[in-house]
Amino acid sequence: MEGIALLLFAASVGYGAARALGLPPLPLLLVAGLVLGRVGHVPPGLLEDALILGVTFLLFVTGIELGPQRTGRQRPAAIRVGLVQFVLLGLAGYGAARLVGIDGLGAAFVALALTASSTLVVVRLLRQRRQMFEPFGRLVTGVLLLQDLLVILLIPIVTRAPLGVSAMLTGTAAVALLLVLAALSWRWVSPLIVRISRDDESLLLSTLALLFVFTGITSRLGLPLVVGAFLAGVSLSGFPANAVIRPQLASIGDFFSAIFFTALGALIGIPTVPELLQALVLAATVVILTPPLVTAVAEWAGLSARPAIEAGLLLAQTSEISLVIGLYGMIEGAISTSVFTVIALVTLFTMLLTPFLTTDRLVWRILHLHPVRMRGRGDVPAFSDHVLLLGSGTTGMPLLETLFVAGHDVVVVDDDPDVVRRLREADVHVIRGDATDLAVLGRACARDALVITSTIRRPEDNRRLLEYARGVPVIVRVFEEADAEWISAMGGTPVLYSTAAAEGLLEWFARAVARGDGSLDSQQ
Amino acid sequence: MTDFPILRDFGFILTAAAAVGLLARFARVPHIVAYIVAGLLLGPVTGLVHETESLELVAEVGIALLLFLVGLELSLAKIRDVGKVALLAGGAQIFVTALLGYGLSVALGFEALEASLLALALTFSSTVVVVKLLERRGELNTMHGRIAVGILLVQDLAVAVSLTLLAGMGARESIDVATIGRGLLQASAGMAALVVVAWLGVRFVLPTLFTWIRGSLEALFVWSLTWCFGFIVAAHALGLSVEIGAFVAGIGLAQLPYNHELVRRVNPLVNFFLAVFFVTLGVRMAVGEGLAHWPSVLALSAFALLVKPAILMALIPRFGYGERTSFMAALTLGQISEFSLIIAALAFSTGLIDDTLLSVIGLVGLVTIGTSAAMIQVSDRIHSRLRGSWLLRLSGASLQPEPPTAARPTGHIIIVGMNSLGRQLVRSFSELGEWVLAIDIDADKLRDLPCASLQGSTEHPAVLEEANLAEARLLVSALQIEDANNLLAWRAREAGVPCSIHAFDPALADELRANGATHLMVSKYDGIRQVAAALRNAGVIT
Repeated sequence: MEGIALLLFAASVGYGAARALGLPPLPLLLVAGLVLGRVGHVPPGLLEDALILGVTFLLFVTGIELGPQRTGRQRPAAIRVGLVQFVLLGLAGYGAARLVGIDGLGAAFVALALTASSTLVVVRLLRQRRQMFEPFGRLVTGVLLLQDLLVILLIPIVTRAPLGVSAMLTGTAAVALLLVLAALSWRWVSPLIVRISRDDESLLLSTLALLFVFTGITSRLGLPLVVGAFLAGVSLSGFPANAVIRPQLASIGDFFSAIFFTALGALIGIPTVPELLQALVLAATVVILTPPLVTAVAEWAGLSARPAIEAGLLLAQTSEISLVIGLYGMIEGAISTSVFTVIALVTLFTMLLTPFLTTDRLVWRILHLHPVRMRGRGDVPAFSDHVLLLGSGTTGMPLLETLFVAGHDVVVVDDDPDVVRRLREADVHVIRGDATDLAVLGRACARDALVITSTIRRPEDNRRLLEYARGVPVIVRVFEEADAEWISAMGGTPVLYSTAAAEGLLEWFARAVARGDGSLDSQQ
Repeated sequence: MTDFPILRDFGFILTAAAAVGLLARFARVPHIVAYIVAGLLLGPVTGLVHETESLELVAEVGIALLLFLVGLELSLAKIRDVGKVALLAGGAQIFVTALLGYGLSVALGFEALEASLLALALTFSSTVVVVKLLERRGELNTMHGRIAVGILLVQDLAVAVSLTLLAGMGARESIDVATIGRGLLQASAGMAALVVVAWLGVRFVLPTLFTWIRGSLEALFVWSLTWCFGFIVAAHALGLSVEIGAFVAGIGLAQLPYNHELVRRVNPLVNFFLAVFFVTLGVRMAVGEGLAHWPSVLALSAFALLVKPAILMALIPRFGYGERTSFMAALTLGQISEFSLIIAALAFSTGLIDDTLLSVIGLVGLVTIGTSAAMIQVSDRIHSRLRGSWLLRLSGASLQPEPPTAARPTGHIIIVGMNSLGRQLVRSFSELGEWVLAIDIDADKLRDLPCASLQGSTEHPAVLEEANLAEARLLVSALQIEDANNLLAWRAREAGVPCSIHAFDPALADELRANGATHLMVSKYDGIRQVAAALRNAGVIT
């Protein structure tokens, strides 16, 4: 009990520090654990149990969140970016690890650890900034999922490298078998669990039973536990199983990850100077290589410059999975404690850096350095007194019709390649680019427009537009009343589309009631 | 990382619990009994699982968290309500039960020392079993539920005293009044210290700290758990039970405005740890020797099942409670406690009793917990069968009308997510004269609404249950959270209630429809129509 209390206390300090400094909690939990390991005494038996159960639940929850639907239309792009980052960063990581004097197998573990980016850190940032559903947010989520999958499935194969090719092949076969089991369970078992569980408790218990059956099978197959826990989660990642289970597992996951990361921190020794230097070199490899790599591939996959840069910066850290890889390597005796410490330090450094790397200011600064910065693609003659639509998407098409019928010149700025192609086919003047980029606005002759409508995703992006096109009437679509207020104050004309949506529902409701729609009839 | 005892044990325990639990549901056996049976299968029968230090710790955490949960749901007013009856009736019950239990044991042929230990074991009822069952039946907050829990906690204090005494008796110290007095004094001083610290914390420190951290629910949750475990450690240091510490910690946090969210978050954790606890209870049950003494086992079990409730039934009405409340509270406490087993085990290890008696107490535990759990499941039916009969009239309790069921909203419109869209909808529907219920995670956003409101995340089925989704006329989600919206659409369809969901991105529409949305608010389309209207106003188009 004292041990658990100590671990929880350290976790509380970590969370408090994270809140006070505005940093992601995970690295601070590690630091709190590291300090605890020096000053307090946690029984080793408890430490081991905390690590084992922690890692099991961490990967189980990671697996449950692996719904491919999260990537939306960005799936092909995510696969492209994810694979390139995985392969190139893996190679660079291996090289860098060898360069700083880590042996072959150790370097392979380090390489694997460097390829993964942190789902916990990135998703938290995306949620905070409400960017989960922007195309680049979906791309980043997709990349994270792909990396988790690749890294975890490769762990058993890499570990067997010293045993020769045949051992690696049997490892691969065992992983394949487990994948088949997970697929079967996804199809048959998880819907069954949802159907037969009538209350929270039996739902939770059958879910956990599934988890431990998987880890049991994994252990029989001689595979690392993490693979089983992860695939058990994956087999529950379909809707509605994942959504129904999530609230049940959330607090168990929170509890065990708090204990896990502090216990892991307690395991890290005080780093020596060479270890620190090795970690700095490797962290620099991740932070310097990832952004340009991801940016280039993301642009190639169809994103425009700014979101591509944002994606690159967001992915420039190693993951909680990297810690798991290090822990696993150490327990299996494949890597030394020193290499584990280095992996943990790299994760610590890069995660702490992420919030500073992803500020709007840095994004714009890098955007100016961008060699082939997209000043908007597509030739548009100089216009005046035209209607300028910033961001159109598929929703803007009917509006275009009306404007043409009224005889206006219309220019559209949009960054979705799909939309741009369709508009061009319809002979609309369109610039493919970022509507918040002043250069793009200049090419669209924003200052000479008759009127501008903005349906840009992030409300705060309209600030630049309103400052730039002062004097031109700007109609801005916003969702929140608070945003509408400041847009008015800046001289724009806000259109509150939440009101429109509410009216739509009320109309439908009135019609349904008038029709005598059975279920909507008043039951009073 | 291929073989770890803790995972292997958890694997067996949870799989067995889930499987036997499922079978038990078809046979209508209470789930607690199912878990203990699963434990018997794993332990005494097959020997697959042995009690280890890790499992013991997990079980202990389970009990602690359960009591933390109980505390979390108690406001000070509720405690004041039942404080008197719990202390006085609880205290008298301990005394009378011990006396009669001693008499019975001697009559059954046990020696004086054995008889006093049996008497002690019969006195206590199981906090874990009772609370878990009451919670499952939604009766924790009823009057009889609160009385039962109050009495259980008074018993827990007595357990703390007994354990202190027993530990001392290992040194063959004779029990005299002074020792008992010292034990009592130590326990009450420790209790007072805990309460004072909790009060100071809740009054001066926690409100500021929790308001500061509440942006992150994860952090808030971990902080609350730390608070709980801090009290557990302190209670342990003061010679009190883990339960008492966790309970005081829970009551403290219950006075803060975050307790509902915390209750929902602690709940799954309790379910997980407690299932392990009950299975381990079965695993360590010593069955063998006691079977030979089956007549004693039966007699002692009958005493716990029938006489103990009868004693309480004679006591509780003295405090002005009606027949039904008294009966339900009394019936609930008809079993012996897991502490009876712990006390027996302690006495066995200090050489006070032999393994026969240990096994007898284990069997009495199994029989009474199982039977009493089943009785609690059907307590309503037992009561209505006995209602007004001479048996209950003997207690002198006044006949009590059946409690009215609380008015729940029906035919209402549930609106989830108080962003601009949600607030607009609340206003509009309220103006139409509809019965509107607003739900949001953030209590701040629920202020100043012209309708009823409920704070919580709709991810928890309990929130939608409280909102009485099944009888709602319409469910509306204004949320801009993809997963939550899909789940709401699905739950609405399961409940057969029409729903309108916010498709804040047109790309989400297909999935929402497939998951059961009746109507979609594709707000961006609506927005474009509005932009067109604005252009019309500006004279750009006609």
